[in-house]
Amino acid sequence: MQAVGTHRSRIWGARALFLSPVLLLFFFFFLYPFVFTIATSFTSWRGIGLMKFNGVANYQKLLGDPTFRKALGNNVIWALSQGFIQVPLACLVAMILVRKPKGWRMLRTVYYLPNVISTVALAMVWVAIYNVEGPLNAILSSLFGMEKRNWLGNPDTALFAVIFQTVIYIGYFMIILLASAMNIPRSLYEAAQIDGASTFQQERHITLPMLRGSLITTMTLAMAYGMRHFESTFLMTGGGPAYATTTMGIDLYLRMDALRYSEASTAGVFLIVMGTLVITLLRKIFGSSDPMSEMAQ
Amino acid sequence: MKQRITGVGLVFNSVKWLLLLSLLAVALLPLFWLLVSSLRTNLELQTNPFGWPEKLQWENYAKALSMASLPRLLLNSVVVASCAVILNSAVTAMGAFILARERFKGRDVLYTLLTAGVLVPVISFMVPYFSFITKTGLYNTLFALILVYTAVNIPVSTFLVTAFMKSIPRELEEASVIDGCGFLKRFTVIILPLSRSGLVTAATFCFIYSWNEFLMAMLLTSSIESRTIQLGIKFFSSQFITDYSSMYAAVIITIIPSIIAYIFLHDKIIGGLTAGGVKG
Repeated sequence: MQAVGTHRSRIWGARALFLSPVLLLFFFFFLYPFVFTIATSFTSWRGIGLMKFNGVANYQKLLGDPTFRKALGNNVIWALSQGFIQVPLACLVAMILVRKPKGWRMLRTVYYLPNVISTVALAMVWVAIYNVEGPLNAILSSLFGMEKRNWLGNPDTALFAVIFQTVIYIGYFMIILLASAMNIPRSLYEAAQIDGASTFQQERHITLPMLRGSLITTMTLAMAYGMRHFESTFLMTGGGPAYATTTMGIDLYLRMDALRYSEASTAGVFLIVMGTLVITLLRKIFGSSDPMSEMAQ
Repeated sequence: MKQRITGVGLVFNSVKWLLLLSLLAVALLPLFWLLVSSLRTNLELQTNPFGWPEKLQWENYAKALSMASLPRLLLNSVVVASCAVILNSAVTAMGAFILARERFKGRDVLYTLLTAGVLVPVISFMVPYFSFITKTGLYNTLFALILVYTAVNIPVSTFLVTAFMKSIPRELEEASVIDGCGFLKRFTVIILPLSRSGLVTAATFCFIYSWNEFLMAMLLTSSIESRTIQLGIKFFSSQFITDYSSMYAAVIITIIPSIIAYIFLHDKIIGGLTAGGVKG
């Protein structure tokens, strides 16, 4: 724009003025915390007093700590279950809804609804559902004669129970996949139909390959969220019983609560590293995404 | 797409609807259960927690609202969420205007940096946020939460609003420059009104996040004067200990704003999600 260039310095001043609030907030709540977390992870610091450099002692301590190892393992289970159960299920639903069955718009809207409800409220419901006298046990015992169990109180079932309830959130991934499925040109299906391809063959050879990019995107998101999982587990079990459901986020919180700030920072570094690892690993395995996912980006 | 009705087709169709309807149930039943529970007597909650109440107890809501702390906690949540939304919208509108409509060196780097914030797990910043908020004397204030919620939503908002502002045709702006519009006028008269839809989308995500957020509120506040309703439900439930049905009524009251926002703005939310992989 030519006319803009005439008052150079004034324009630069205005630009800086407009950009500075967003940049300041970003600096204080993203860049500075990022550096702070990494820096304090190499110190011994309890929130007050001086930080003393202690090398990789915190890292050694965390990796040798069975609680933290349990958290790390649970996060990997979380990431895998979100990426390989949640996303395929969401994809299946998207492939059904893209054929526009009766009421598909309403279904799409309702499927996403749990994503806008507070986790505190929903965790309360799930605690009631999983209760010994709750409806889940009532249904299972009347249908299959299964004995009543304390789903969240038993270390063998607690992790499964807290992961299972995330099925209510599939609407999020479904909406992304559905949008890109709707962008697949209808002509591809028409041509395939003329060639005599069955519905199943069309899904297998047209829809899935065309969704590849969005599948990588949603899988990356799902696994990254699995790695940073905190809220619903914290609210339902607090990480227990006996650390059976703990995650790196919960571990970080508990260390901070015990005033072990630098160890908490180290857990934070693990969180960041594992999240980044998931993203880069998926890129490596599936290759960089195709134009479809660029559209979804 | 016409299908001949064959045995296989029929099975497929039933499986399909079974899946769609059970997911519908999974999405709605928890909310429905909360609603029904809020209308039971406490005795019914203990003896028949999953049946239909004999008489709907609407007075549970009056009881919940008469709890000493609930109105205060609700007010705190309203203040925090609305201030965060206003601040976040103002800050991103200004920033996105520069990132979308001005051309200068380093613009794309800045944009990438700001939006890459989505990739960072904010929960890993519990220690620095806590120490920063304590050092600035903001611990246990509503402003601390307003600031954090505004900031945490910047990557998502910047992404959504910048994309929207980029889609506005350049000709409109150029015409206004010829008409003598300066920098500020281009922003307030041309770009801002035309980006309303994108700003509303970003604001919706920011509102839902701020209204529902739990962890940072727990970390950065300690007393009823500055706690939000989500913490209220979790921690002040000792007040409710003998009166669970009123507690469920309180929970329903807290999710009503989210549901209202969703009823009116779900098209914006769905549109925002498909504009990119962002989580609300």
